[in-house]
Amino acid sequence: MKEFASRITAFLSMPIFSFAVLILFSTPLFAADIGNCLLCHKYPGISRVNENGQLKLFYVNEDIYNNSVHAKIKCEGCHTDIKKIPHDPAAKVDCLVECHIVEPSTEKKFSHNDANLFLSKSVHSTTDDKGNKKQFAEDMPTCKDCHDNPLYRPLSFFKKVRYGISDASLGRCRVCHKKDEFIYRFYNHITTRLHKSRNPLNIAEVCARCHDDPQVIARHNLSTKAVFSYGETFHGKAASFLDERVPDCLDCHVNRGESVHQMLSHENQKASTHEANRGTICSNIDCHPGASPKLATYKVHAEFNLDQSPVQYYFTLFFIVLTGGTLLPLMGIIFLDCLRKFFPDAEIKRRK
Amino acid sequence: MEKVPLLKIKDGKKYFYRFTLNQRVQHIILAWSVVTLVLTGMPLKFHDTSWAPYLYALFGGIKAAPVVHKVAGSVLLLLFIFHVIYLAYIIWKQQMLPLKKAGELTFGSILKVLVTQPLVPNLKDAKDIRDLLKYLLFFTNKRPEGDKFTWKEKFDYWAPFWGMVIIGLSGLVLWNKELATQIIPGEAINFSLIAHSDEALLAALFLFIWHWYNVHFSMSVFPMGTVFITGYLPEELMVEEHYEYYVQVMKEAGLEHEILPPHGAHAEKSHEGRQAL
Repeated sequence: MKEFASRITAFLSMPIFSFAVLILFSTPLFAADIGNCLLCHKYPGISRVNENGQLKLFYVNEDIYNNSVHAKIKCEGCHTDIKKIPHDPAAKVDCLVECHIVEPSTEKKFSHNDANLFLSKSVHSTTDDKGNKKQFAEDMPTCKDCHDNPLYRPLSFFKKVRYGISDASLGRCRVCHKKDEFIYRFYNHITTRLHKSRNPLNIAEVCARCHDDPQVIARHNLSTKAVFSYGETFHGKAASFLDERVPDCLDCHVNRGESVHQMLSHENQKASTHEANRGTICSNIDCHPGASPKLATYKVHAEFNLDQSPVQYYFTLFFIVLTGGTLLPLMGIIFLDCLRKFFPDAEIKRRK
Repeated sequence: MEKVPLLKIKDGKKYFYRFTLNQRVQHIILAWSVVTLVLTGMPLKFHDTSWAPYLYALFGGIKAAPVVHKVAGSVLLLLFIFHVIYLAYIIWKQQMLPLKKAGELTFGSILKVLVTQPLVPNLKDAKDIRDLLKYLLFFTNKRPEGDKFTWKEKFDYWAPFWGMVIIGLSGLVLWNKELATQIIPGEAINFSLIAHSDEALLAALFLFIWHWYNVHFSMSVFPMGTVFITGYLPEELMVEEHYEYYVQVMKEAGLEHEILPPHGAHAEKSHEGRQAL
């Protein structure tokens, strides 16, 4: 958790009556600003120019934070090095620290370390199979390269699927769960994980930060500007029109039922994108059920590029030449026709 | 075919019959479906432009526009099939059947009927293109004297004809990719996508620049040609584009004395042409 958080516990200053109503009936989401961090961080202008001359903004928007995935975590839960106020420059947040939340099924203190374990065995790990550090290991993503603390995008399931909270579902929760704050938080937690917190375009944009960077592509000898070439397919184009039904990078590059942190290289036999497994990506029940494995021989990442896909290159070139070869002479005739109509009686021979 | 006069005089002006009602309806359906297909297809081809989302939104965005595209595509494909059957029927009924009745239906006679169809390109077209270039480049003041269908109209006919085969087949593959890849490899979808969208761009530019210039935007026709609705072409346009056929129709109608000279714009200088007739 990289952001400072929380708010002044305003309700403490409210009349006692309001306090009682709030607790008894509809307790809204609130984070515990025990350290009183918002005393300073509530001001939108709070910022500093760092050693590299970059302006760093330290403002924490309380409303946004309280609706984020980390709303229940106090600032000190992530910013463990801050012990006093005013504090010294804070160290970067380590997402793998154990926070105060207890994971209900194991009753152990919660940490993102499991995600990191998956990541360490994936194509994005910083070490190879033998444990040696990979070349350009610094290019490999860490938590915050992909996760920017997205807002909840909960689903409502009453009659039809839509964004937001379903009052009808909340009614069912209230049968057993008595605290509204708990209900809201877990409803958000569960429904957010029922689908992705980003739409396909957002996910592609996250991957593009590295996979469309020409320097990263060159350093790691990658065969394509992955998101650019994805953008040339129907899937990518539909994603650019904010279609939620089309597959994004993760749908093909992660084995079904596994965490995205377990993404494997296409050379790995266990990878969904391995040549032998690709057929099952396209033909899965949500996409093209019944499709032949041949469908997966479609070149998703073909570019208009002589080195990478020469046959597609020449095929496209043929149509470019055909278009130019057809239209340019015809447009020439149109131009001459316009000109001729302005000078209907001019003739070169007669002037001689 | 309908029995209609080739020449009609209304308010003292002569109009020349060009297209049957059947052909005009076919053309309207063709025009409607092509424009719809272009409007619902191009935003996808140029998805990263600023105008694409707005144009796409007019057709319901990504959820509805592809459906509109498929409906228009299906209409166009059905029209194409109808047109080919219609063409075959007309040729059979009007030319092949009389030959058959006369017992002259041989491979040679069939071939002759096919290559002499009014829209099949011939040597006169090549000559007309050469003469048009001479005229446009000011080497002569004499326009080529076009037949019933000029090379421009043949181009306008065969370009969409070829385009419809390419775009139609590739469109069907893209639409039914699960079925298609039972037979053909997935890479064929890459080629279908390129062929579909690039050929469509060519067709759209061809129609909206070349075809529309000739039939609507040219100074002789502007602001709009009406022959695609009425079926009749005004005399001055007939003279400009189809002079050879014009003279033939006028003679058949017994109006030799009213035949205009070949060049409307500088008619007074071309009296020798008129006298020669």
